[in-house]
Formats: sequence, C-alpha cells, structure tokens
Amino acid sequence: MAEYSRIARGTFTTAASPIAQIVNLPFQPQAVKLINYTAYSAPSQYAVTTAHWDLYMGQANTTFEYIETASVNWIIAADYTTNGISTFSAGSLLQFGAQQQVVASTKGSPTSFQVTAHGYNTGDVVVFEGLYQSPTTGMPQMCGMPFVVTRVDANDFTVNWNSNTSNYTALSGSPTGAYVKKVLYPFLYAPQLSFISAITTGTTTTITTTAPHNLVVGQEVAFRVPSAWGTTQLNSLPDILIPGSPVYGYVTSVTNSTTFVCNINSTGYTAYTANVAVASVPGLTFPQVVPVGDVNTGGVAYSGGALYPSPVVNGVSTINGPAISGAFINNTSQGFIVQNGVGSAQASTSLLTASSKYIYEAYYYDLSA
Amino acid sequence: MRQAEDLILRDYIVSAASEINAGGGSNSDNPTNLGVSDFSLVATTLDTNNAYKFMSGIEGMDRFGTGPVRSAYFMLSSTELQTDLDGLTGSGFLNQWNYPTNASALPSEYGSVYNVRILTSSEAPVARNASANSRDVYYNTVVGKQAVTHINQDGYSMNLIYRDPYYSGMLAQNATLAVKFAQSQAITQDTAIRNLLCTRASNLSGV
Repeated sequence: MAEYSRIARGTFTTAASPIAQIVNLPFQPQAVKLINYTAYSAPSQYAVTTAHWDLYMGQANTTFEYIETASVNWIIAADYTTNGISTFSAGSLLQFGAQQQVVASTKGSPTSFQVTAHGYNTGDVVVFEGLYQSPTTGMPQMCGMPFVVTRVDANDFTVNWNSNTSNYTALSGSPTGAYVKKVLYPFLYAPQLSFISAITTGTTTTITTTAPHNLVVGQEVAFRVPSAWGTTQLNSLPDILIPGSPVYGYVTSVTNSTTFVCNINSTGYTAYTANVAVASVPGLTFPQVVPVGDVNTGGVAYSGGALYPSPVVNGVSTINGPAISGAFINNTSQGFIVQNGVGSAQASTSLLTASSKYIYEAYYYDLSA
Repeated sequence: MRQAEDLILRDYIVSAASEINAGGGSNSDNPTNLGVSDFSLVATTLDTNNAYKFMSGIEGMDRFGTGPVRSAYFMLSSTELQTDLDGLTGSGFLNQWNYPTNASALPSEYGSVYNVRILTSSEAPVARNASANSRDVYYNTVVGKQAVTHINQDGYSMNLIYRDPYYSGMLAQNATLAVKFAQSQAITQDTAIRNLLCTRASNLSGV
C-alpha cells in the first residue's frame, strides 16, 4: 500500500505580521497537519497550537485548536476558518482569479483601493483593468501591470504606486468596468520581468518595483524606460556613447522584495515620473527592468553563503536542486498554501500565529475511500 | 510531449522578455489592436539592437497578386489574431499565399508585415480580460536569431517513459507512463527579443 502515497514534512516560521505561507512540494497533498511548536514552548493567549486540513473539508476550510486562556493553566479550544489551507498546482502562466469590482480608490503613495470583501492577503499579486472614472479621468495608467498587495482590512488594500499627481483622479461609486483580479501564479519563472514604480537617481540607482523582483546581489539587469516615464538614460539601448553596445547594471544590494540598488551612476538623469496623462494610455508601454545575467555575469563580488544554493523565489524555497544564484529557474510547482484565516468562533485568533515555528506534515494517500 | 516543451518555453519567454504595448491600432485600449506601425516599431527596435533576422527576403516575381517579402524576424502569434491581420491587408499585411513563392513559408506561417513574418498557433499566450478596457491581451513574441536557446542536458531533452505492469509493480497491476525533462531554456540576448502585446479590434467570439 505504498505505491502512490506521498508523505512530506518541513517547517516554516511566521513573520511578526504573518503573511500567507506557500509550501512547495513534489505533489498536491490530500491532507495537511500543522503543529505550532512555539505555542507549546512559549504559550500565549489565542496562539494556534495545531491545525488540520483534509480534502474532504473542501479547499481552505481548516480546523484548528488554540489557547483560550491568558495564563496557566492553558486551556485549549477548538475553532474553524474558511480561509485556511488549500492546495495548488502552478504550471501555466497568465491565470487569474475572479474579477472583483473596484468600489473606490484614493490618490496617494501608496495608492489605496476599496473592494468589498476582496479576500486578498498581503503579498498577493493583482492586476487592474478599467480604472476610469470618466472617459478622460481615473487611474488607467495602472492597468495591466502586476501589483503586490498590502492588506489594510477586509475591504481595503494598498499598492505601491504614486498616484498623488495631477493626472490621476480618485475613483468613486463603483465605476463600470473597474475591476481587480488576482494573478494566481506570478512567479513560475524567476527572476522575471518587473515593472518599475519608482526610481531614485544618484551615484547609485535605487529601483522600486510594483511586485517582488526576485533579484539577488551580483545580478546583471537591463532597463526599458519609455520616454513618458522620464529616466530614459537608463535604457540598455540605444547607447549614445557606443552605439549598439548595451548598457547593463549590476544589483549591489537588495533592500526588500520590491526595492534594490544597482550600480549605475544616474546623477543628472531625467527624474522618473508616474504622472502620465490619461490621454496617452492607449499604447502606453510600461517602465521595465529585466534580469539578463546571474551572479557569474554580474560585476559585483559575490558575498553570499552557498555559491549554488537551492533557489528561493519570493521568500519561498523551491523544490529545485542547486543552481547558480540569480540564474533563471523554473518554479512551476505544486503544494499547499496556508492563509492567515480568522477563527469563525473566536475572532481574536487566526491560523498563523505571529513569530511562530510551524512544523507541517503533508499526505497523499494510496487509498482514499 | 513536445507540446509541453513548447508551453514551457512560451511561458518562460512571457516571464522574462521585455514588452512593448501596441499603440498603432484604433480601439483606444492599452494595448491597442495591431497597427502596421507596431510592426515597424518592433522591427526597428530589434534592428537598432543589432538582432539578426531569421529569414532573407523573397524577391518579387511577375505573378498576379503577389509582392516581394522583406527579410524578416519571426513573430509568434495567436490564431485568434488572424482576423485582425486580414484586416491589415492592403495597408501592409501580405498573406503567405501572396508571397512570390511560398517555398520558404513555414506550415504555420500566416503572412508578413514589413520586416516581420508571422507564425500563428492556438497555443500562443493570451491573458484573458487583462487590458485597460478588459479585452484579451495577446503576447506576440518577436525574436531575432540570437535571442533564445534551448539546452539539452545529459545528452537528451526529454524521455517518454513507459513500463508495462509486469515491471511496474509486484502484482503487475499498474503500468507507468511518464515524461522526463532534462533541458533548460535561456534568453541569450535580451536586446534581440520583444513581446509585442496587443488586443483585438473587437473581442469576436469565434468558436
């Protein structure tokens, strides 16, 4: 009875502000068990101790136990969430979740959106469409680019874009055709093409991207910045000094998942602007940065740990073997996702307790009757 | 098996190659539908980037309804765009049956516009309802000769594995059928490849 069964185990540690945990496996499990070791070694009220999901419960429906009391004796209680563990099989790009109506947006940096019961978690990637308040006003400049979401609450989230300029108009009243939808598998191949939301010029150049860039220190990058966005001098071609010779930069530091510094001296370059007119949206090409080489082709000394680590994409370990750091990798994968769902009976508890070490076991059974 | 290989390379290129949004069409979307100026722009971009063209031109001949074909890059497009391409007949599009000779045309070749010869496939990448005005967005990959490579590892690209039940289990109940890949794809010259994104003039619902 072990011809097709699969069993896997591993650990993950949640952040101080927990986000969804993606666990890549060589199979799609039919059941998952979680033990929060930290909840036992350092108990606290509302900490989740164990959780269990089975395919028979339906995707995302997850049972769990948590600590009900605030001090010893710690008493365990049972609860349930509809936003818990689900499986995925990520094999093909350009797959999206359901369209959701954008109710309103607020100008700013970041830009805020109101979508009723959006269901997004911090770290999800979304795309917008139809962000018009009228045929000549709104925020259509943002349509078509992937944005990483920062969840504010059940009905609000922000994205990393400066709309606090004259060519943007806040949306209101659920404009017809204004939608947002989730990009289901944004990082099947990494590092990937990224879109630029801000550029800080200087002796080095700091780039902020709309979604995680997945670049590493030492990596070679090229820029494609159309004239509408300002900083065209970064472009790899045309090269005004040596025609036909592409200009590349090297990543010198990675600030966070959406910000990195490259070694191009951009002092005196035209300032970046997102203040693009609505009238110029038809045919508007977005500012982009593309990875063109790994740490072996980069010009910055490699100072990391293992020279050929197993690749990590957007903070998640892949099931790939050793690879040159920064090289393109195939991240098509299967596995499960743990969302930070809130308890249906006790709203003060949620599936992913902050700063906790979780041990998981995942199963695919030979016989499932 | 080879279809899976094509889809992997397709998705890899969609992920990694830079994009140009079509702006030469008239549907006021972003990207717009294809206009002949988009073909001119993408070919000019690749020419400026010193990309190598795939095909040399076809000299004109004294045959009714034909015209010379320029040396060209290949563009990999969706079959769903063929109606829009037909709409460009007379303003730059030349169907491959109007080539002076179609001896060099590939089976999937639909035609050419300026310095771009267009191959269509139903497996071409499409992002549904993803444009600024919720139209489908088509990824048309325009490649120079030196843009992409495919590397076989351990001396092969993929194996189709079949083991009959006698060898697959002690009780000879189940066979094994699998595909094993030992390959990788790489963009060898980023300046020689562009994804030209476009929508259709209208979202026709052909079935």
